Amino acid sequence: MGADSLLDIQNLKLDLPDGRRLLEGVSFQVQAGEALGVVGESGSGKSLTAMSVMGLLPGLRASGQIVFAGQDLVGLPDKSMRKLRGAGIAMIFQDPMTAFLPVRSIGAQIDEQIRLHQPLSRREARARTVQLLGRMGVPDPVMAAKRYPHQLSGGLRQRAMIAMALSCSPDLLIADEPTTALDVTVQAQILTLLREIRDEGAGVMLITHDMGVVAQACTHVAVMYSGLVVERGPVRDVLDRPLHPYTQALLAAIPPLEGPRPERLPTIPGQPPTPENRPSGCVFAPRCSFVRPDCAVRPALIETEEGRRVACVLYAA
Amino acid sequence: MSVLLEARRLEKQYRLGGGRVLHAVSDVSLQVHRGEALALVGESGCGKSSLGRTLIGLTHPTSGEVLFDGQRISGLSDRALRPWRARMQMVFQDSSAAFNPRRTVGESLAEPLRIHGRKNIRARVDDLLDQVGLARSVADRYPHEFSGGQRQRLNIARALVLGPDLLVADEPVSALDVSVQAQIVNLFRDLRASLGVACVFISHDLSVVRQMADRIAVMYLGSIVEEGDGLEVLDRPAHPYTKALLDAVPRPDRPLPPPLKGDVPSPVNPPSGCRFHTRCPIAQPKCATDRPSLQPCGTGRRVACHYPLVA
Repeated sequence: MGADSLLDIQNLKLDLPDGRRLLEGVSFQVQAGEALGVVGESGSGKSLTAMSVMGLLPGLRASGQIVFAGQDLVGLPDKSMRKLRGAGIAMIFQDPMTAFLPVRSIGAQIDEQIRLHQPLSRREARARTVQLLGRMGVPDPVMAAKRYPHQLSGGLRQRAMIAMALSCSPDLLIADEPTTALDVTVQAQILTLLREIRDEGAGVMLITHDMGVVAQACTHVAVMYSGLVVERGPVRDVLDRPLHPYTQALLAAIPPLEGPRPERLPTIPGQPPTPENRPSGCVFAPRCSFVRPDCAVRPALIETEEGRRVACVLYAA
Repeated sequence: MSVLLEARRLEKQYRLGGGRVLHAVSDVSLQVHRGEALALVGESGCGKSSLGRTLIGLTHPTSGEVLFDGQRISGLSDRALRPWRARMQMVFQDSSAAFNPRRTVGESLAEPLRIHGRKNIRARVDDLLDQVGLARSVADRYPHEFSGGQRQRLNIARALVLGPDLLVADEPVSALDVSVQAQIVNLFRDLRASLGVACVFISHDLSVVRQMADRIAVMYLGSIVEEGDGLEVLDRPAHPYTKALLDAVPRPDRPLPPPLKGDVPSPVNPPSGCRFHTRCPIAQPKCATDRPSLQPCGTGRRVACHYPLVA
């Protein structure tokens, strides 16, 4: 399994120096030309997983495997990691305002990244920057490159950040809630863009809490809860036929945009556990309406059908 | 249903210096009936928050008037407004900023009661906590001890303290996770049923709005472009902008249609004619010159478009 995956994360665990475990064993793969949506509520560990792949969590102890293009990134020296960032794996963040340096034009910042990884002159780098911005649908890219982050609208800033992320043609693009701060009409533009990137052969890992975004932009989905992947599979299958009770509850809690309006929305009682109070058995058991005695043992993420996995005793053989 | 709040030709402008003027709200007239839930929807910068704040007197309109229970409240001094404040309250988006971090939530909830000279304060605070589904014992705890969902319940309790007739809630659930969001959406429904409080919800999330509101007003660049029954507006939009907003919501069952072109124009230099004409997929020459006014369209619906999608 996963020998030819672009990114293969196996049993990734992440610990704080004080011993609290933030990730409990995350496993999933991203293939080239596919987009994996990582969904879950705040604190479920989706951003931590992404930051681990980028090697951006120096204070935390990671174990397990993060294999990118045949190379294990866990414990990789900083120098090798730096070569990979930007060129092999690039990341875009939720807030492009804080991701750009406010005192330099966005063009200068994209030029810099290009020249760090490729032997190009300033002029050549700028030409590439302008070309990238144009491809992202930024109007008048020559002028836009000379602008400072605060002079651009939120949508344009996010496009500029995607342009920067794509400047060295990474094989894997990690997007952490790239459209959460944007209006729906701008979000639609960005999602269309992410789709094109995928069609061109890059792998995409999209972190979001919005099931609609997953449906629209992803081919596969992994549902996280309390530092674990509880279900994963092709998007259509998981959204149409969620197996894990948590995925089911999460989907049911979204108010419908068409059809009859329910009197009340189904809710999930209680709250997700904090890392120190995480149950030793199934992490969702305390809030699950199907809970039974054998939930006291942590269920493994088992394959129920081709390409589909779920961690729940309801589906144990 | 009788009218509780009415806005007549409301304008809110901000001077930016250099002679530039930002038109946050332009020529908005609307009514909120007793016990009703009205939602103001639109993209960031469309003026929905400015309108909400102007409606309850947190900012003064540049022109036009606001009537509460038939009495004019716009233009009143802060002192003259004070008795009215008890009857209209705001639920802010950021529940952690809405409480004094150094006071117990019980103290924060009791303060308005004390200022307005109410009796039986402790009993009232207990009552409130019951209503928003929190244990009475939480009154002795501090804001940081609560989860986001609990804090939003407290935030709502804070707005309900004085027994208002109207709540204006600015993005009350947008910072919450889906499962918690569903709890708060249900809570608003329960409170409206038990207290009969009217609500103005300000939101950008159409599915949340569909669940929470009886009536919806869609705003674009400071003006209402369509207003009517919530389900009707969202199930059969009449204004091309409402349709574009709905089309842009990602859904599992269909691919995204081609997105709207460009960004929302600047409210400092709004386009001539229909303000949406620069992005409208069905714009005609007339749209660039003549500004359409809100006209009745079907039952109880108004739309500002020369070529509405439904008659």
